[in-house]
Amino acid sequence: MDGKFAKLSPFQLDPDKIPDTLSPADFESAAESEKASMVEKHKSVSYWRDAWRRFKANTVSMVALGIFILCLFFAFIGPSLIPYGYGAQYRSSQKLGPFEYSKGEELIRSITDDCDAFYATALQPGSKTAVSKGNYFIRYKGATYAFTLAKAVEKSVIMLAADAAEPLLLVKESDIKDGSVTQSTPIELSETAAEDAKELKLVRNVVPHVFGTDSAGRDIMARTMYGTRVSITIGLVAALIVLIIGSIYGAISGLAGGAVDFIMMRIVELIYSIPEVLIVLLLQVVLKDPLQAWFDSGTTAFARAMSDLGSGIVSIFITFALLYWVTMARIVRGQVLQLKKQEYVTAATALGASGGRIIRRHLLPNCVGQLVITTCLQIPSAIFLESFLSFLGLGVSAPMASLGSLCSDALETISLYPYRLVFPGVILTVVVLTLNLIGDGLRDALDPRLKK
Amino acid sequence: MAGYIIKRIAVAFLTLLLIMCITFLLMNAVPGSPFLTEKSTPEMIARANAKYGLDKPLYIQLWNYIKNYLRGDLGTSLKMQEGTNVSDIIFHQGKFTLSLKLGLYALLLAVIIGIPLGCIAAYNRGSWIDGFLRVLTTIGVAVPTFVLATLLLVTFAVKLQWLPTLSSSLTSFKSYVMPVISLSFYYTCYVAKLTRTSMLDAINQDYIRTARAKGVKTHALILKHALRNSLIPVITYLGPVMAGIITGSFVVESTFSIPGLGKYFVQSVLNRDYPVIMATTVVLSALVIIMNLVVDIAYKIVDPRITLTEKED
Repeated sequence: MDGKFAKLSPFQLDPDKIPDTLSPADFESAAESEKASMVEKHKSVSYWRDAWRRFKANTVSMVALGIFILCLFFAFIGPSLIPYGYGAQYRSSQKLGPFEYSKGEELIRSITDDCDAFYATALQPGSKTAVSKGNYFIRYKGATYAFTLAKAVEKSVIMLAADAAEPLLLVKESDIKDGSVTQSTPIELSETAAEDAKELKLVRNVVPHVFGTDSAGRDIMARTMYGTRVSITIGLVAALIVLIIGSIYGAISGLAGGAVDFIMMRIVELIYSIPEVLIVLLLQVVLKDPLQAWFDSGTTAFARAMSDLGSGIVSIFITFALLYWVTMARIVRGQVLQLKKQEYVTAATALGASGGRIIRRHLLPNCVGQLVITTCLQIPSAIFLESFLSFLGLGVSAPMASLGSLCSDALETISLYPYRLVFPGVILTVVVLTLNLIGDGLRDALDPRLKK
Repeated sequence: MAGYIIKRIAVAFLTLLLIMCITFLLMNAVPGSPFLTEKSTPEMIARANAKYGLDKPLYIQLWNYIKNYLRGDLGTSLKMQEGTNVSDIIFHQGKFTLSLKLGLYALLLAVIIGIPLGCIAAYNRGSWIDGFLRVLTTIGVAVPTFVLATLLLVTFAVKLQWLPTLSSSLTSFKSYVMPVISLSFYYTCYVAKLTRTSMLDAINQDYIRTARAKGVKTHALILKHALRNSLIPVITYLGPVMAGIITGSFVVESTFSIPGLGKYFVQSVLNRDYPVIMATTVVLSALVIIMNLVVDIAYKIVDPRITLTEKED
């Protein structure tokens, strides 16, 4: 192959400049590699890839997405990283501030970690004693409980706190023969330490209560994590309910047209003009008892799952299913009215497609952008509503928590412990803020025509 | 125009009727009786039921409600202030005026602060002022009312002691400050965002360029030419604002211990005082519906291009 042609495309060839000396080799068909350099490939870009590209270019939305993912980690993975449960009450550690932990917890932690005996003076009044490693039994109010050392100490702290007058026996395994105690280490006041005891240096490696604890001794961080999980889940499920009902209703109304559309839209207008919060409050009270009765009698897996959620949350879902789908229905109807005039819908109708098939195959997939945007912006509004109801004492009930109920709990002691409101309040704000920003970003990415 | 208004008023009445029916059904779906206490015997409950007509069939009870409401009689309270006329409780004990004043001040604040902020942001588009206002308003619409209300309460009333803790009677200017600010903050931010967007829309229109070419001063351009057109979305939003302010008033009234209608409604629901639930629901709904009506008519006045009869979406 002659080097003269290599750099020129056929369109650039000037007939006057064709070299005089042509060899037959120049007329051979082009090799595959040469053909490849001629073709400009346009890789087809899918709708979602294109939208993702636009979304990625939006710094604010990307940062919001990152923070929201952090919130998801906090809510869904966080609880397994900290040693405290959302409902557990740590008796010795009530009303702690942020990053604090109680003496009792410190003591228990120290014993489990690095010593074979503990010698407590500050633990409880009258509990100067020493124990060695091994299995332990607690004899309390006539019953005997078996524990490891750590648990035994923990339990005895709790039991002593509950009833200081009741005698409590902490017994080593070796001291029990045939079920009766042969030798005991009573937890009682003694001026001298037991013989095998050594004084304990408290080791500060207790996981602190990062957000402090509430008046019942529950870890606020664990509760906030759990509450965030509940709030986000409520938001997602409620938005999904709105999506399903609203899109089906709107699509049917738009596609049917005529009298059906007229009646369906009048219904939407009526529901739209009802101040929904008044009805929501009534519904919350009304639904509470019937739902509870259904939970108690229900044997299906569905009823049990709902019962785990509690009547407050389920009635929030019912409220959304009854009242909040109208905006979605209006948006979808507007889209469908535009789309149904398109040729492909006519073609589908001509080929005998049913209304349901046209909605499923042609109309809804074509307004997916609007559906995603509206659903995404519905989530924060559901979270707001739930927190509002919980704040008024109608949403989730203890020991369950949501961000709203945590804020509500914090109110009683707000002047003494303002941080109890700040943590859930800030997280609620951050979740709603990031979801709003993600929604805005999605709007720009999925529907560039709307971009201002 | 007159025909439209008549039609809208008719629809408003229909909506109120529907709300009454829904409220009535919901109230009666709650198990138990408003007279059920630890001490009450079945006879006492039956006697009380007979006294207040609760033993009659439901449709007759509902019909009685509608009949009395048309005559302006809101019934008497069963429980919370037994025997007192509900309209006296709502209108003469100052609950309604208290809530209305709070709501209107909040609405006013949202409009007179929100719209100028939006204009300033749009006018200084891209500068640090715009950036600051965008951050502020974006965060503002994400802060729940109760968090803001409580933080204000702790900061200014408990810690700094500049403002009174209890705003119960709303007598002085100082007692209004925190409730009104916490009630209107979300809406101020939302109105500012909305104004900014629609203002930018308006500024990019041809007629603005023409006016500028003809030598209209910038501030006159913004105030006279652009603002008028950009107000339309803001006005449409005011109807939902009113509904939202009523919602917010439940929270604000319980945070600041204001004995208004919102707090009373929540209490009546929890106490199952049927006539009070019905009356508060109807009064609050009427407020929202009237507000929506006013907004729709104002809409027509601001923008004559809108044909009211064909208002689809």
